[in-house]
Amino acid sequence: MARKARQLEHMLSRRSLLLGGVQVGLTSALVGRLFYLQAIESNRYEDLSKRNRFDYQVVPPSRGRIFDIQGRLLAGNAEAYALNIVPSYTSDLYKSLQTLASLIALSPATIARLMELAENQASFLPLTIRDDLNQREVARVAVRGPELPGVSFDRVEKRIYPQGLLTGHLTGYVGRVSEDDLAAGRALPELAHLYNGKSGVERTFEPNLRGTMGQERVLVNAFGRPIKRTIETAAVAGDDMHLTIDINLQSYAMSILQRGRNKPISMDSAKVKRALAQDPELAASNDGLVFEDAVGRIVPPEAGSVIVIDVESGALKALVSAPVFDPNILSGRVRHDDWQVLVKHPRTPLLDRSIKGQYAPGSVFKMVVALAALEAGIIDTGTHFSCPGHRDLGDARFHCWKRHGHGQVNILDALEQSCDVFFYEVALKVGIEDIADMAKRFGIGQITDIMLPDEKPGLMPTKRWKQNTVGEQWTLGETVVASIGQGYVLTTPLQLAVMTARLAKGREITPHLMDGGNAKTASDLGISEASLSIVRRGMQAVVSGRYGTANQSQLDLAGIKMAGKTGTVQVRRITAEERARGITKNINRPWKFRDHALFVGYAPVEKPKYAIAVVVEHGGSGSVQAAPIARDVMTYLFEQDI
Amino acid sequence: MKYLSPLIQSFDLSLEKRETADSWVGATPWLMIFVAVAIGLIGVGALYSAAHGAWQPWALMHAIRLALGLLAMAIVALLPIRFIRRFALLWWLMAIAALGMLEFFGTGKGADRWFALGGITLQPSEPAKLAVLVMLAAYFHELSADRMRQIRSYIPVLLIVFLPFAQIVLQPDLGTAVMLFLAAAVVIFVAGIPRWMVMTLMSMGLAAIPVAWSMLYAYQKNRILVFLNPDLDALGAGYQITQSKIALGSGGFVGKGYLQGSQSHLEFLPERQTDFIFTMIGEEFGFMGCMIVLGLYTLLVFLLIYYSFQMRMTFSRLVTIGVAATISFYVSINTAMVSGLLPVVGVPLPLISYGGTAMMVVFLGLGLVISAMLNEHDIHE
Repeated sequence: MARKARQLEHMLSRRSLLLGGVQVGLTSALVGRLFYLQAIESNRYEDLSKRNRFDYQVVPPSRGRIFDIQGRLLAGNAEAYALNIVPSYTSDLYKSLQTLASLIALSPATIARLMELAENQASFLPLTIRDDLNQREVARVAVRGPELPGVSFDRVEKRIYPQGLLTGHLTGYVGRVSEDDLAAGRALPELAHLYNGKSGVERTFEPNLRGTMGQERVLVNAFGRPIKRTIETAAVAGDDMHLTIDINLQSYAMSILQRGRNKPISMDSAKVKRALAQDPELAASNDGLVFEDAVGRIVPPEAGSVIVIDVESGALKALVSAPVFDPNILSGRVRHDDWQVLVKHPRTPLLDRSIKGQYAPGSVFKMVVALAALEAGIIDTGTHFSCPGHRDLGDARFHCWKRHGHGQVNILDALEQSCDVFFYEVALKVGIEDIADMAKRFGIGQITDIMLPDEKPGLMPTKRWKQNTVGEQWTLGETVVASIGQGYVLTTPLQLAVMTARLAKGREITPHLMDGGNAKTASDLGISEASLSIVRRGMQAVVSGRYGTANQSQLDLAGIKMAGKTGTVQVRRITAEERARGITKNINRPWKFRDHALFVGYAPVEKPKYAIAVVVEHGGSGSVQAAPIARDVMTYLFEQDI
Repeated sequence: MKYLSPLIQSFDLSLEKRETADSWVGATPWLMIFVAVAIGLIGVGALYSAAHGAWQPWALMHAIRLALGLLAMAIVALLPIRFIRRFALLWWLMAIAALGMLEFFGTGKGADRWFALGGITLQPSEPAKLAVLVMLAAYFHELSADRMRQIRSYIPVLLIVFLPFAQIVLQPDLGTAVMLFLAAAVVIFVAGIPRWMVMTLMSMGLAAIPVAWSMLYAYQKNRILVFLNPDLDALGAGYQITQSKIALGSGGFVGKGYLQGSQSHLEFLPERQTDFIFTMIGEEFGFMGCMIVLGLYTLLVFLLIYYSFQMRMTFSRLVTIGVAATISFYVSINTAMVSGLLPVVGVPLPLISYGGTAMMVVFLGLGLVISAMLNEHDIHE
């Protein structure tokens, strides 16, 4: 018994000692493990620890601003606030977003997108809910702060266009970088979370405007919350762009173009309200501006383009396209409704008519034909043709706009009165190839150097062109039609302005938008001064001559006269039925079947300073609709200059 | 009634002891107390750093608890060991009752782990562990060498261990339950369970692993799976292990300096005031700091084993071994866990981690040891 007890006691001691052994074993294992972590692998873990601690963040640069010639702001940056939320700080992210949706505009689609995003990233990383809050919205959210844990604000920049509608087409707008933008190199991947220019100057000069990103080393805690920021590389703001545009002139030209021959009328009048209710097309094109036309109908503003160019330098003073859109509503978060209004608008406000609208030039093309003939030596001022009101070619009869004809006319008379038959005769003698060659020297059918995106080239047809594209031979009838700027010939308003500037100077003026840019000396057009002066005299007669088609639009300024040319472009032939019913007047036809009204001109005639091109889409007659606009704009310009 | 008489006698005994004041001072294990206090003060310093260099909310409270713990230790030390042994069953029943009451009155995160008593929270599973050790020691104390070899002698042992074990597992607090099981196993082993029984139990234990696995909660399984492959969930459950290893490793040999642990202070390290406090010490004081802390714990455990050799009463020896095993396992499992050797099971580092109950248990245990040493002369009672 005692022996067994002793044995047991012995075992107790032995086994206690074993526990000591176990303690030594465990501790040794731990010491080994700690030595491995803290001595052998220490460097690796130190790197990991640094990576844990520091986060490198891109510092977005300020986007360059856009100014007009007088330094007035066309595009700038306003302070806005980004609203962020850290999902791990919220008790229920969805509920928090719902609460936010009751305070600020937040669509269910956005909430769904954010919820999906939150699923796929660590919950301590912040989500940006919106990046364009104004101060009032911030205040509204901040007041409810206690109910919204994890919500924070960041100061960001938001693109603004103080001139709004006036510069929509010109400045363009910015938007979220798309996959296509990255693929096409229109945005940098490291700044892909910012905006890039989508149209206009914003897009063309994106590389200059966007600036260079900076980098910031941020000491962060485990939740990604910044503790301390150190600038590694400072962000470099984008270049400011100074345009040659004079925003006051732009504004004036816009208002003159939009009003046209119509009478301004208050939106509040009962008549307007009735018209808006009855006419869905008018309602769709309603952008807060309506007029009353000559027969008392309520109509939307005129559509078209006005371009003013400095004939010395090629600087564009005004580049107007109507109807317009407000770039502010397209920059950043675009509301679906706003977008629908623009897309469903019957007069396509998103189309920049000044560079993308392609119109048959009509009679304003006659200068090109005249110069081709003069330079070819086929005609001179002594060459007369008889205009009986039409010209027969084979079985076809080509009418002059004046039913009973102009009688005997030379080049000066033909320009002044815009006799069609004279040019039919001349064109038949010169041929389409020489005309196309001359047109090319004036920039017709080619894009210009102004570098705005998606500029349209227009079209100057040749025999080869027709063979290649239509697959048929060129006909003489087509030469006849082309001689009065119809048929295949297409030009943009910008090309017409450039053509006019070149006519006025005899030099190869190239248009530009950037102040100080493109200051290259324009080379000679290679056209004799004699030929040019004949055409210029013809153009002076258009405005100042007794029978001039634009003689109602003379400048009422001492010593300053304008030269020009009207054009009225048929969009659709007048049918026999319409002729029978007497619906020959433009005003009686539906808007889209009315003629385009054109005018090109320059002033002063002795020493040209500015050239102008006016296109009033479906405006009717060039002399009635377009020439007065040119007169008013020129008057404004010279009154400013004096 | 039989068990109440020692309670009355104990007052006489305490009076008796005062007469031998010299031996009382000489018999007190001052070195052990010193080591325990040193570890506790390291805890205060670490918690000061955990709060980014502030006494609030942890360091000051820890210091107060350290003082209270010492007081509790002294009170227990003054109790006659015989009294503790005689009432072992009562302590055990109280622990069972407290654990049972948790079901109805407990509060805590998801699992009912605490009692809230007007600002003080009590975690009965920790004192229960001590009660089980005392009960086991008392039981084996009474068991003769012959009965030690009989299998039926172990039926009460199973009851003593598995009733509270089951209650703690169901709370659920796997970490504490495992700790209880391991400490109890050591006491049973040291008490002299026959070798063949040890072997049989170990094989049965191995066989039971799949069953145990199927009974684990999803989050517990997840912890183990993630431990085996932290990349499974680098931002979730594996996050703690990964960040803890980074913190320890980046501390290097001498550490980043006091209050300079970037992992800890930038909140990468979770639970830096409780289960992961050793990581923070390792980050700020490096390998050297870890060695000092581990050295102190090892010294404490060895002292306890050494004291146990000097004791002649089976009860005293077993209680001392039980306390040593408890501290040893706490430290080993906690440090193995934070250095990525074991899954995260929620075991604090005794005397350093923030938490009153665990500290109280350690001091109560040390109090029992001191009481055993002071009452060696009672062996023939």
